[in-house]
Amino acid sequence: MHIDNHGDVIAACRFCFMCRHLDPVGNVTFREADTPRGRALILDRVRMAQERLANPDFIDTMYRSALSGANRQHCVSHYDETGLVLAARRDIVAAGLAPEPVKALAHELVRATFAIEGRGSSLYFGDHPRLYPECATLSGGDPGVALEALGFAGEAAEVLGRLRGVIAASGSGTLVVGEPSSYVFLKKRLGGIAVVHCSEYLLSTAPEAGPARRAVYLESDFLRNYADGMDAPRRLLRRHGYELAPFGTNAEESHAVGEGAVVFDALQPELCKRLCRRIRELADNPAADLFITPSRHAKAALRKYHPEMRVVSLEEAVTQERSHK
Amino acid sequence: MITANSYMHEMVRSELSWALGDDHVQTGDSDKLGHSIDYYWVPEVWHDRGRTLPAPDFVVYPGSAAEVSEVIKIANTHGIPVIPWGGGSGSQGGALPVYGGIVMDMKRMNRLLAIDPVSMTATAEAGINTQHLEWAVEKVGYSTMHFPASIACATLGGFIANRGTGVLSTKYGKIEDMVMTLEVVTPTGEIINTLPVPRHASGPDLAQLFLGSEGTLGVVTKATIKIHPVPESRRFHAFLFRNMHDAMGAGAKIMTTRLRPCVIRLYDEPETARLIKRVLGIDRCGAYLVFGFDGPAASVDLEMGQACAICRQAEPEDLGPDMGQAWWDHRYKFFYPPYMFHLPQAFGTLDTVATFANIEKVYWAMKNVVGEKFPQAAFIGHFSHWYEWGCMLYARFIIEDPPRDPHEAVALYNRIWDTAIRAAIREGGVINEHHGVGLKLGRMMKDLYGPAFRVLEDIKGALDPNNIMNPGKMGFRAKGS
Repeated sequence: MHIDNHGDVIAACRFCFMCRHLDPVGNVTFREADTPRGRALILDRVRMAQERLANPDFIDTMYRSALSGANRQHCVSHYDETGLVLAARRDIVAAGLAPEPVKALAHELVRATFAIEGRGSSLYFGDHPRLYPECATLSGGDPGVALEALGFAGEAAEVLGRLRGVIAASGSGTLVVGEPSSYVFLKKRLGGIAVVHCSEYLLSTAPEAGPARRAVYLESDFLRNYADGMDAPRRLLRRHGYELAPFGTNAEESHAVGEGAVVFDALQPELCKRLCRRIRELADNPAADLFITPSRHAKAALRKYHPEMRVVSLEEAVTQERSHK
Repeated sequence: MITANSYMHEMVRSELSWALGDDHVQTGDSDKLGHSIDYYWVPEVWHDRGRTLPAPDFVVYPGSAAEVSEVIKIANTHGIPVIPWGGGSGSQGGALPVYGGIVMDMKRMNRLLAIDPVSMTATAEAGINTQHLEWAVEKVGYSTMHFPASIACATLGGFIANRGTGVLSTKYGKIEDMVMTLEVVTPTGEIINTLPVPRHASGPDLAQLFLGSEGTLGVVTKATIKIHPVPESRRFHAFLFRNMHDAMGAGAKIMTTRLRPCVIRLYDEPETARLIKRVLGIDRCGAYLVFGFDGPAASVDLEMGQACAICRQAEPEDLGPDMGQAWWDHRYKFFYPPYMFHLPQAFGTLDTVATFANIEKVYWAMKNVVGEKFPQAAFIGHFSHWYEWGCMLYARFIIEDPPRDPHEAVALYNRIWDTAIRAAIREGGVINEHHGVGLKLGRMMKDLYGPAFRVLEDIKGALDPNNIMNPGKMGFRAKGS
């Protein structure tokens, strides 16, 4: 089983409570099962007797995790509980036990195709090609990160392979990625091409501007927890005249409403709604503030469940600022 | 336990669902497993060896004191145990559902309700995670000054139920010193409030009755606690003494001189060699003593100077402020894996508090008896939570390779506890300072209290006539007895 490769994590997390305050789902369901300890206990039971993997309650618990990585980041030893849950999901899929909604989502995702439009020495993969006039545009679906999050590693590799072929044919040397989940995934997996986050790329051309407009930055789980706390988005926003106010009470909690699980709202809409409600509750001025997130998922979910909140993506914030000038 | 799938199970489940809503009554295996193990070593080893654990029949998540009351009334009707659960990080088995029943997880009651900047108090629901509480209070410029190792895991109610202590207790007090007033749901379902201030002459202090009652006398649903300004200055200093006795003398003198450190911590020679070396990298023999002061910078400087002068009389190695600050910065690191003891090791914290006159006798009594009777066990200790009259001994035993058979392992574990704690009690030690009694130490309560325990038993009987509140814990009678 894949979870057997994470025996050290099971051993470390199964009786440890030290990061439970940071599990986004645990903080809205309040269930012990929705904490790294709770999940590690379950998987320890499964490790002892493989047939327990078929327990629908255990499977449901694994697919409730938001995979934020905040717990791993907090742990002084950085035990990768997110990796453990991903391994469990792979085991569930391999055993043919994936719940129907998971299978249906995977069926859609695996059909992703990719194409390149325009010309340029660099490629841009995201929602705002007009911000990158010097780049060719790579369009298509999820590059495999969502499939991997669902436990379909083989299918994820298949999609990534298709993407790799398209990119190789373009001859480009740099890939600029807008979505943090795709950025982290492709930077780790793609090879043969420099992968940069859109904020890093845009910083090189951003104007220097003094603080002028208050905004609240909602951190990306991927950029904070899997990209060494990348600071480029904040620097970019400051360059564009945004005065960034801190969100919530601390810099450790996930404020990305399930971004880590990539397709969280599609799979767990009720939980996603609760994560969004918590963000609204933690906000100082939810009705008045402008919220900026690098995550397409976070923006969509917050707009869906709290349309009264003004939430824009990082690239939209840059576009808006340009349009104001 | 109620047989799952029986009609009685459904009778109770449906009543609970009417009271709380379907979403807040869980009966699945994931929830049952998560609530059948706390931070007590015995259920951990039982799980590790693949054995079945006593599990709750129902896990409920009340959202208000009224809902807590409803659950308790249902439990009284059916004679089902109710076990309040906060963060579940207690080390004494106090929240374990040993007879099944209803585990009442309080974490849904997690709101910070009010901050009174005039009186400097905060009022919160009891299920709030204490790190979340601290963050919320810090955001408006204050601090609870309650910094236990379990701050990230435990709830406010959990600390109240077990008389918890934070690192800065020497200045800011234990949780029972921090509490102003409590809202409590009694074992028969009445919602009551204790008096609004903790200093009065209106009879005995009712709040203190519920503080440390471990869910046996009711469920704390709301508390008002003191909050504090963030100090202008906080400084630390560390020394390495030749031995624990010299360091204890210095620490006691700091306290009896009536200086007011926010923290003092003294590690005996074995723990200095084992843990301080591992976490702080100090690889020398001796007893590590660290202390800190906080408040206005001028008074911190003055008191720090006096405390250092007291220590220097014993000619210790001066590790300076950096090694003191390093301890503060890493104070929680000791409790993360792999720094914390963990299976396959067997380990237990023989938490005892005593006067300065007795504390070293308690230490040696426990160390000697463990060494003589259980040579396979290592014994280490540190002294934390210092008061004007004495301090707490955080002694631990560790067995690297306990028996594989869980029955043998638990039997050995229990024997060590029994032997060491009874030796401590004989020397004037009190079990314990901040972990509580729970399942682990209940059997020793009669020895500890003597005839006075009858008073506590009578109170329990009067408040909880059906014995539904956390039966079998804290030395009170088991379910059905």
